[in-house]
Amino acid sequence: MEKFAVKTNKLKKVYSAEFQTTIALKEIDLEIEEGEFVSIMGPSGAGKTTLLNILGFLDKPSSGDLNIIGHNPIEFNEEELSRIRGEKVGFVFEDFFLIPSLNALENVQLPLIFAKNDKGNEKPKILLKRVGLGHRLTHYPNELSGGELQRVAVARALANNPKILLADEPTGNLDTRNARELFMLFRNLNREEGLTIVVATHNVKLGYSADRVIHLNDGKMEKDERLVKQNAK
Amino acid sequence: MKFIILAYKNLKRRKSRSFLTISGVAVAVAVLVALLGFNAGYQEALTSDVDKMGYQVIVTAKGCPYEAATMMLAGEAVFRFIDEDIYVQITSDPDIDQITPFLAQLAYDPEKMDGKGGFINYLGIERSYLELKPDVIFKSGDWFSDENIHEAILGYEAAESMQKSVGDKMVIPGKDITLTIVGVFGRTATQEDGTVFLPLKTLQRIFEAEGKLTGIGIKLNKLENLHEFEERLYPIASIQVISMSQVKGTILDLVNSAKILIISVAFIAIFVAIIGVINTILMSVMERTREIGIMKAIGASRLDIFQIIWMETLIVCTLGGFFGAIIAIFGGNLIELLVRKVMPYAPGGRLLLITPDLLLISFLGVIVVGIVSGLYPALKAASMRPIEVIRSGE
Repeated sequence: MEKFAVKTNKLKKVYSAEFQTTIALKEIDLEIEEGEFVSIMGPSGAGKTTLLNILGFLDKPSSGDLNIIGHNPIEFNEEELSRIRGEKVGFVFEDFFLIPSLNALENVQLPLIFAKNDKGNEKPKILLKRVGLGHRLTHYPNELSGGELQRVAVARALANNPKILLADEPTGNLDTRNARELFMLFRNLNREEGLTIVVATHNVKLGYSADRVIHLNDGKMEKDERLVKQNAK
Repeated sequence: MKFIILAYKNLKRRKSRSFLTISGVAVAVAVLVALLGFNAGYQEALTSDVDKMGYQVIVTAKGCPYEAATMMLAGEAVFRFIDEDIYVQITSDPDIDQITPFLAQLAYDPEKMDGKGGFINYLGIERSYLELKPDVIFKSGDWFSDENIHEAILGYEAAESMQKSVGDKMVIPGKDITLTIVGVFGRTATQEDGTVFLPLKTLQRIFEAEGKLTGIGIKLNKLENLHEFEERLYPIASIQVISMSQVKGTILDLVNSAKILIISVAFIAIFVAIIGVINTILMSVMERTREIGIMKAIGASRLDIFQIIWMETLIVCTLGGFFGAIIAIFGGNLIELLVRKVMPYAPGGRLLLITPDLLLISFLGVIVVGIVSGLYPALKAASMRPIEVIRSGE
């Protein structure tokens, strides 16, 4: 029997501003198995980021049932969510979001420091070598190219051995070559380590290199394509 | 890598801003240390000056008693005289333990201070002077060979500045008289170190003040009897009795009122520095809302963020305190120089007393201040919600 990394039932998210209520997600029923590589595609405003934020414990749904790697975010307070994020979720953002005052290695060490697990931990170095930046350990973000920055961010996301990697438009600021390399890195991480990966993207070609493509539009799931046969080699 | 390095690296990012904030704290601490140190030093120097004077009571011509007392502490001449008869008259008073008459005179010496010119103090004394001042001992030489003879004893500094020693000759400028130096006193750390001592009668004759005295120094058997003693002298119209302990008390009262003012000034400086620190840290928190959001997204707890921001405040205040203490130690001499120039009377010895205790208290004080002023920015940063912060950046 497959274990589920994500299971949602009638998941709904409503943003209420003073004069306007926006329904970002309308009753999403979604199951993602452990070890799946899923891309979420759809136009801007379709709810991709909202869904990823909820899956990453950054935001709470307005209603519906939710289980992410065994936890329901509604049951936890901010502080506990922070800890769960640190231990079980890896994030990659469009704008990389590295800390500019820290070098590549220190940026990757950061999640370990917050998890009080940094002493003598060689993982950050290993990860940076794994993403091909073994020679850039002491470089600061302003000394790295966009592709390198995003690879540092991936290494940072992996530092705490997350159960799930969430990437929100990770290639938005990358050129075609770097974007393709990033997806190859995701592919390898998924295949070699069984990491569950959920990527939101506009890039149709790259989106279809995942095992499964979920199409979101206007807060609803329009289409759920499983491509395992085509992509498995 | 600990939070302290994270905080330090962030401060380094805005070097000039961090530097200016640290300078503000340093100046405030320096002001506090210097002012408090000056206060303590002044009090101690004055007390030691008055105690070394040896007299408990001075009898002088009527006038402002404080003017007379401070001039005498400063070793300057008072140009009001009393008759020698009064000395003879009161010398047998039963309450007197020891008594000595003296005459102070000034003469302008154009060659003093390397040719810039300056006044030299001359003090005419009798042998009883030494009995009243146990601190005054001979470094070399001995007492005058006669009570009306052209001989001089030099105070320690007077001998040094004139570069004279026992056996040398000296002249009083403007008077056609040569004196033989027969003795040099050891250092007393009072104004009298710069004085030239002559036999009372000699000085009276040279300055044409025969039968005149500037004052009479007195030590009583019991200081409690001061009041009765004053009562008995009251009928003598031309004199006043000045108790040095009263003078000391009054000056110290003045210094203490100044202390309140001084402390207020120092605290205003510290207050301004605190606002500077809070402003700097708050600004740096606002600039980094996104970074703080990211840190929370990757697992930082509220306490983690709080500690990072708080640490920045502590680093600023600790460095400021450290440099402030250094400025106070080295800048203190400058302040002392200034004070000596401006004040009509400044006691001998060090005016600025910067003790390790004072430094430690000021240093710890500024760290406590840093802890307090870091609270608000740190709490503000810690309470940011990552989702809002990341979204607001898009």
